[in-house]
Amino acid sequence: MNTFPRRTFLRGALRGAAVGVALPLLNCFLDSNGKAYAATGQRIPLRFGTWVWGCGFIPEKWIPATTGRDYVMPEHLAPLEPYRDQLALFSGFDVKLDGVANKPHITGCLGLRSGIPVPDENVKAPTLDVLIGDAIGNGSRFRSIEVSTSGIQRSYSYRTAGSPNPSEISPLALYQRIFGEGFQDPNSIAFKPDPKYMVHQSVLSAIGDDRQRLMRTVGAEDRHRLDEYFTSIRQLEQQLALQLQPPAPVEGFVMPAAPADVALDSEMDNVLVIHRLMAGLLAKALQCNQTRVFNVLFSDTTSNLRRRGTIDTHHTLTHEEPEDPTLGYQREVAWFAQQSMQAWREFLDELASIPEGDGTLLDNCMVLAHSDCSIAKAHAVEGIPTMVAGGGNRIRTGYHLAGSADPISRIGLTVQQAMGLQVERWGSLSMETNKSITELLV
Amino acid sequence: MPIVRDDNLAGAAQWMAASGQYNRAARISLALLLLFYTSFTYAQLPFVQNGKAGFVISQFRYALPQDAAETGACPQGMSLNVQDIFAQTAAGKRLPQESDNEYSARLRSGGELFATAADGQNLCMNPEAGEPDPHFRTVDLSTMPMPGIDLDGGHSAEDRAENTCEHVAFTGTDGETGIDNQFYRVVGCSASFQSTGPSNGFDTEMLTGSWGILMTLSGLDDIVDDDSVEVSIYANSDPIQLSPGRKPLAYATYLADPDPEFSATTQGRIKDGILTTDPTDVLFHHVVNSMYLRRPLRAARLQLAVSEDGRLEGYLAGYAPVEAMYNVLYGYRDGKTSTGELAPLRLRSGSANGAAQVLGHTCNGAYHALYRYADGHRDPETGRCTSISTQYRIEALPAFVIERNENDIGQGISAERSNAL
Amino acid sequence: MRFKSIASGFTRFGWGLLPASCLLLSVGLGGCGDNQSGLSEPAPVGGPALMRRLTESQYRATINDVFGPGISIPARFERGLRVEGLLAIGTSESGMSAFSVEQYDAAALSIADTVLGAEHRDRFLNCATASEGAFDAQCTTQFVQQYGMQLWRRPLTDPEVSSLVNAAHQGFIQLGDYYEGLKYALVGLLVAPDFLLRIERTQAPPEGSGPGQLDAFSRAARLSFFLTNASPDKELLRAAAAGELDTPEGLASQVDRLIASSRFTRAVRAFFEDMLQFDLFADLAKDPVIYPAFNSTLAADAQEQTLRTITDLLIEQNGDYRDLFTTRNAHLTRALGIAYRVPVPTRKGWEVSEFSADSNRAGIQTHIAFLALHSHPGRSSPSLRGKAIREVFLCQEVPPPPPEVNFSVVQDPSDANLPTARDRLELHRTEPSCAGCHRIMDPPGLALENFDGLGTFRTVENGAAIDASGSLDGIDFTNTNGLAQALHDHRETPRCLVEKMYRFAVGRDTVWDERPYMDYLTETFAVHSYSVPQLMRAIALSKNFFAIAPPTGETSHNLAGLSPANGATR
Repeated sequence: MNTFPRRTFLRGALRGAAVGVALPLLNCFLDSNGKAYAATGQRIPLRFGTWVWGCGFIPEKWIPATTGRDYVMPEHLAPLEPYRDQLALFSGFDVKLDGVANKPHITGCLGLRSGIPVPDENVKAPTLDVLIGDAIGNGSRFRSIEVSTSGIQRSYSYRTAGSPNPSEISPLALYQRIFGEGFQDPNSIAFKPDPKYMVHQSVLSAIGDDRQRLMRTVGAEDRHRLDEYFTSIRQLEQQLALQLQPPAPVEGFVMPAAPADVALDSEMDNVLVIHRLMAGLLAKALQCNQTRVFNVLFSDTTSNLRRRGTIDTHHTLTHEEPEDPTLGYQREVAWFAQQSMQAWREFLDELASIPEGDGTLLDNCMVLAHSDCSIAKAHAVEGIPTMVAGGGNRIRTGYHLAGSADPISRIGLTVQQAMGLQVERWGSLSMETNKSITELLV
Repeated sequence: MPIVRDDNLAGAAQWMAASGQYNRAARISLALLLLFYTSFTYAQLPFVQNGKAGFVISQFRYALPQDAAETGACPQGMSLNVQDIFAQTAAGKRLPQESDNEYSARLRSGGELFATAADGQNLCMNPEAGEPDPHFRTVDLSTMPMPGIDLDGGHSAEDRAENTCEHVAFTGTDGETGIDNQFYRVVGCSASFQSTGPSNGFDTEMLTGSWGILMTLSGLDDIVDDDSVEVSIYANSDPIQLSPGRKPLAYATYLADPDPEFSATTQGRIKDGILTTDPTDVLFHHVVNSMYLRRPLRAARLQLAVSEDGRLEGYLAGYAPVEAMYNVLYGYRDGKTSTGELAPLRLRSGSANGAAQVLGHTCNGAYHALYRYADGHRDPETGRCTSISTQYRIEALPAFVIERNENDIGQGISAERSNAL
Repeated sequence: MRFKSIASGFTRFGWGLLPASCLLLSVGLGGCGDNQSGLSEPAPVGGPALMRRLTESQYRATINDVFGPGISIPARFERGLRVEGLLAIGTSESGMSAFSVEQYDAAALSIADTVLGAEHRDRFLNCATASEGAFDAQCTTQFVQQYGMQLWRRPLTDPEVSSLVNAAHQGFIQLGDYYEGLKYALVGLLVAPDFLLRIERTQAPPEGSGPGQLDAFSRAARLSFFLTNASPDKELLRAAAAGELDTPEGLASQVDRLIASSRFTRAVRAFFEDMLQFDLFADLAKDPVIYPAFNSTLAADAQEQTLRTITDLLIEQNGDYRDLFTTRNAHLTRALGIAYRVPVPTRKGWEVSEFSADSNRAGIQTHIAFLALHSHPGRSSPSLRGKAIREVFLCQEVPPPPPEVNFSVVQDPSDANLPTARDRLELHRTEPSCAGCHRIMDPPGLALENFDGLGTFRTVENGAAIDASGSLDGIDFTNTNGLAQALHDHRETPRCLVEKMYRFAVGRDTVWDERPYMDYLTETFAVHSYSVPQLMRAIALSKNFFAIAPPTGETSHNLAGLSPANGATR
């Protein structure tokens, strides 16, 4: 009887051991966690935030000519060069309108954040920051903190339609809210582990107990495969064990001083000062676990930013200013777009200035930065500029990815997945997607 | 001033030369080539099936000449918005020590005076309550080469006498005479209508599917010479289909708007690859700031070059009723929501006043200028013309157009359908 | 005798008679020593008992069947492993990474939350006595036994039951809520290897010698995954427990029941998705400038179109499998209409019509899904298409190109002297090291040159008229309709389907001694007018399907010496 495979004659050799699909991933997983524990012996949570600027960009000054890792940063991105490795750039992803009338500056911003294009301000909530906050924000004092730095009381974080989570607009008020009455020493808060993790862990442990029985029932090659399964179960147990330990003590936390009261004026230099102050306070709040989710509105989607000595706002300029015929774009508008990227750089500076574990706070934050449109003059919601920064080795960054008009909900979906949310499909109509951006995920 | 034009053939030749794609010599060889090809490939032209061809408009913008800066069309400068106008008054000058914010607030409230009628009505919502605005600059020069077609020449003089008003026609980009484009005189000194401004980029809404336009040709025997084809023009019920590079795709299927108001049929002919049509009234949808508006064009004609791959390129021109054109471009007075109700006054008025501010005009100025230059559909009682000659430059791609009451659904495909409309 | 049976039918590269150089392929139609064994099933051969990982579609279908539709499964599944042309065979070889287990675990928690949440729990718990505040041991035991049997595809042992009941009890103690605790018993069921892996178990052969048999529940699982792409339903488990699957009547009644159920369509789709390699769509990219109509919607609709065409013809109409290569049935959406250049009046969703006789759209090999998948990002590929026709539909394997080959000519479409792919490939066919294989691959692929790299019809390439004539194993044709007929009439067409179907069913490659059984199935297929449901029925009823061969630990080493030294066929 010949029961060898029909192709053996031709092949010359049988295959070796069974093929494990993702062993490299396994190693990588171990390394990353091993490193994270090594610094403190404790777990450091991954936080999430959004950083929004209004009125889009100048494509020729922002979109790199090539995709992948070795792209050249165009002029407007130049300030971000120090963060190249911690930054993923996304161009060419669209809010899909499905024939829905485009409500300028609203449909794009909320379409990106909710996965649903809306023709008016009746947001189809919740926005993705709220979904993430519900999953990771439980252990902290504030579910999320919203700030707006250009003097406008507005926010694009919605739990339910019609009631955005309000933004702080004054640095002093933000300070008082976080570090004023009710603030506790972050190192003295009692930790109570969630018993669910214990139950879950013991279920997995019982499965592991079955290992020997099963190993006896299968052949040699399948034993190898079963072994991989049981190793994976053990790792899952170890992850759960981590949840039962208290969070890392906040080393080196220094109580910030109350900021001076500053004038609320949308003039750019003033806004950059306010923004830097609020970014610093927010970073401190993240450091001592007051919140794990934040939303920063640098400038509103109909940006009221002004240049010193002029009275035209960024938004009105996008419609009023003629294109410079030699440049091929609007010169003044470009200045605002460039300054916005400078502000984004300064925001990252604040997060990166706080050491945490064996890295910085930025390594333990994933920040989604986006605008409300691509070319503001036309209110275009196709190709809205979007970036993801930080995340340490828990996400993959350091490249430019072109979306080829894919729905921008792919970014929102992947960001949720990267934050550990168990979601496989997100968005509605043409924006419904289950296509993760695998480049971002570890 | 109406001008008698050349015969059709020469006109077509000029048009083709004007389109910048062919010189005269090339035209002749192209015509020969087309003749040669016709017998061989005609049956395989995929966009013509059973003598019928459908199209979707893939580009749609006003046909305008070069910018005022090049042509000298606006010796008095460009039109102003209400804040600019206020700033030119003695009260509008910046005070010493006045901060940016303070001055900006004062300009805003000062400008509001110029946006409000004597009786307190908002002028964008009630432009007839205001006076013609000397700060709304228009074009009286007629020497700039003008893209477009002759709307009133070559037709019966009686019609013209009855229906049109005195106006000066332009000379075309290739020397053809009698190009009617009074609309240009109204918008030519608005900064937003220069090639660098935003007002002529409104087909963004078309590409995102807010509105669209379809066309069909029936009884089509030959795409080069055909003395009789029936031409229909419809609003599109479906969003236009785009490539990942955001360019319209050919051969998509679209449903014509079932509302008969949004369809029109006329007679046309193709000579040397140029389709021209008899006038007919057409109506399209338009969307501004999420408000739905109606864009009518009366006595509209087409002049389009038909290419072998089914692309059309040329002009749609006719007479835009002034009241409707004012609503579409400036006032949004009849803007509807997506459910068909009149949009909230705050949205209509806010959008109109905001647009006037950022685009650089006054509503009453625009309104009176439209009437001042109106050259069509003269009201026999008042003697005043009620529509204004307007030219659109358009391009179209092959598409499958599903019409109301059509029994040609599934041409090229069997009629058996389990899931017809 | 054995040699003859191998040589029967068309030369089969996979059977290794021919050196890898392909030069002998011009032998063409070989000797015709048909096995005349009639329609009695040859003695069972069998393979090893396997441990197969559930595929994503099997996992989803099983949860759907056990808990009803509308249970969301928020998990990201790993890509399958393709072995010997089938993912189904890869399920017997692929491992299980930490990422996968993490995803299964999260999916289990989410399923448990839904099933035992306040809104739905009454549908699944038949215990009037249960309440949040008290642990109900009897109710828990009943729940674990009932769903354990459905999810693990066998009755649970007492220690297994008590371990899971204990998990629920511990959960109640820790969390203070009976239902919260019970969730963890369900999580335990769903994360266990007994659910995620189909671990086949054997029983001794009936007469104490010859091939062994799967035990009753492993047989039920093989049947069920083959005929419904999901775990056995309650009725099949009952029949297995009652020993009914051991009798021909009992087995036939269950097989006929499953084939008649609406879940059978799922199984046929799963097979063809695998055979047509639709998992490769995940990597498919097209140059957006050259093929502007290609996007993710078109890619999804194209696959669905071919699958609808298949299930409509094979199941709804109980048609002849070979007609898949000539059918002009058109299942279309508007996105597909753009690529096919046909009107699609239906605004949303699908409509059914027919491609016209002169449309050149006869057969699933002229569908976008086939044409686009087997092309380059910016151009068509007669070689890739020809290779796919040989490998996917005819089970003829084409070896990879020799390492030193110069591709620059074929890959440079800008050479004005070589405007068409045929011109460029001519160079290959005159290069001795390439000629053998390209003579095999290119002729059927060249007949599809009237379709560009996306699948849109064309008559010219770079200004030159396309010559779409070609040939397939001795049948010449001038256009795609000719290729359609040649595929329809090719003697390997039904045999290839039989072989792939059986490998899909048993999750392993076929073995040498299974040749007579393949002949038997092929003849049965022909007798039943090439009805695929009838073929699947014949497989499910055959003794071979359940047979288990004794372990052959040494065999592979002994055989290595018999094979050609180069072995370079992958």
